[in-house]
Amino acid sequence: MSKNFNQERLLQVLVAPQVSEKATYVADKHEQVVFIVTPCATKPEVKAAVELLFKVQVKSVQIANLKGKTKRFGRGLGRRSNIRKAFVCLKPGQEINFAEGVGV
Amino acid sequence: MTDTATTTATDLATSAPDSAPVSALERRIEMTVVMADIEKDVEQRLRQMARTVKVPGFRPGKVPMKMVAQQHGHQAHSEALGAAVEKAFGEQVRAQKLKVAGQPRIEPKMDNSEGAMTFFATFEVYPEISLADLAGQSLEKATLVVTDAEVDKTIEVLRKQRTTYAGVDRAAQNEDRLVIDFVGRKDGTEFPGGKADDFAVIVGGGNMVPDFEAQLVGVKAGDRKTFDVKFPDDYQAEDLAGLTVQFEITVKKVEAPQLPAVDAEFAKQLGVSDGDVEKMRHEVRSNLEREVKKRLNSKLKEQVMEVLLAVNPIEVPKALIEMESNQMADAARRDMESRGMNVKNIPFDPSWFGAQAIRRVKLGLLLAELVKGRELHAKPEQVRAVIDDFSQTFEDPTEVVRWYYSQPQRLAEAEALALENNVVEWVLGQVKVTEQAVDFDDLMSNAGSES
Repeated sequence: MSKNFNQERLLQVLVAPQVSEKATYVADKHEQVVFIVTPCATKPEVKAAVELLFKVQVKSVQIANLKGKTKRFGRGLGRRSNIRKAFVCLKPGQEINFAEGVGV
Repeated sequence: MTDTATTTATDLATSAPDSAPVSALERRIEMTVVMADIEKDVEQRLRQMARTVKVPGFRPGKVPMKMVAQQHGHQAHSEALGAAVEKAFGEQVRAQKLKVAGQPRIEPKMDNSEGAMTFFATFEVYPEISLADLAGQSLEKATLVVTDAEVDKTIEVLRKQRTTYAGVDRAAQNEDRLVIDFVGRKDGTEFPGGKADDFAVIVGGGNMVPDFEAQLVGVKAGDRKTFDVKFPDDYQAEDLAGLTVQFEITVKKVEAPQLPAVDAEFAKQLGVSDGDVEKMRHEVRSNLEREVKKRLNSKLKEQVMEVLLAVNPIEVPKALIEMESNQMADAARRDMESRGMNVKNIPFDPSWFGAQAIRRVKLGLLLAELVKGRELHAKPEQVRAVIDDFSQTFEDPTEVVRWYYSQPQRLAEAEALALENNVVEWVLGQVKVTEQAVDFDDLMSNAGSES
């Protein structure tokens, strides 16, 4: 399926892996890996990108939008930028090793 | 963290081959550490760490072990290894009853067998000191009694320091002060630094080129004079050294030195408020006596230490010398800094102090041994006496005494002195002492450079 996407675009989709308590929790429970992705990424794009970069097979992708918090700074109101998180579910027996680096 | 390390490290296997002497004071021992124990220790350390380690995205204590191991595994490993090696080293040192001086140098052995690591520790031990008998030794004890002659001499010096000058109408003699204008010409042109107006110069004072001063003898106020001056070859201004230069001087004033009379005024200047000359003499005398006693004592002490060093040749560990010379370099640096010098740019090489450091370390070891062997510890009343002695020179002795007793550090200084006195006394009791009178001037001048 990845053939349908422009490779340059795919390289821009994944921003960073999300490392947190919750991310490790879901990784244990559902074999999911959490990424922060560009705000306009689609599920098929994320799937293709992960498969391209980490050479693994993806079962499914769930996506959540996190609204940035409004923060007061003095009198003015500020807003943190929104974040789009992708929960990538890998096929059984697959694993992403971040320490080994990304092979393109 | 370290507590847990020691509990697991107790069962470390340590093979203890006899420490092979490398040099006279250098020892080398071999230690083996079992890897399985290290691994166990590492794990324990990591578990301990996981409780407190902070990683963004996790609450403290909730970081998965895997991540902790990834981030801190290396550190934990080296720590565990270090602790184990130290432990093994300590055990061997205790088992072989070695007195280690300085830090051991630990190197891993290259051919490591499976499941265990072997280390070599190279270090120095304190020398065994057996104090030699002092009975055959002798030293000269310098003595000097302060008499009226010495007091007069000192007052003379004090007078000279307070010399005033008054204008006279006669030809200049040695020790007169002249006020002159002068212009120096080299081949007819003035040179920098060769010209001054209203310049005060003391004839025969040694501040100017000798030729120049010699020309000043016999001039009168209002005289003009032109003469040649040959600069000495080692003159500090290089372009003038060895050259002959023409000077033209105008003498404005000739002033004769006047020593202040020893009277009430003089006494007041010296700090005797009611101007009693007898009292002043007394004061000068007691100060002098104290000074003489101090210098005689320090001279004696020096001799005693020399004797001790000469009788007991010992070898000193390099590590101690290094430590001592570093300390001395530091002290010298601080000393210069406190005198307002900019020491940042001056490199201090501890090796400058090498010879001195060796002497100090030797003495330190010898004294420690003496004190231990002969029960020469400073007693509280001796310390008190030393402090009382110190405080005599100050205006408010009780205040000084309190200052010393307020901090143990300051007291330690006095204790060290009392201890030294004890040692000196003991040595004097052992050796043959011959008394020898010294010259007042000799004592004051050469001792001054040492203190």
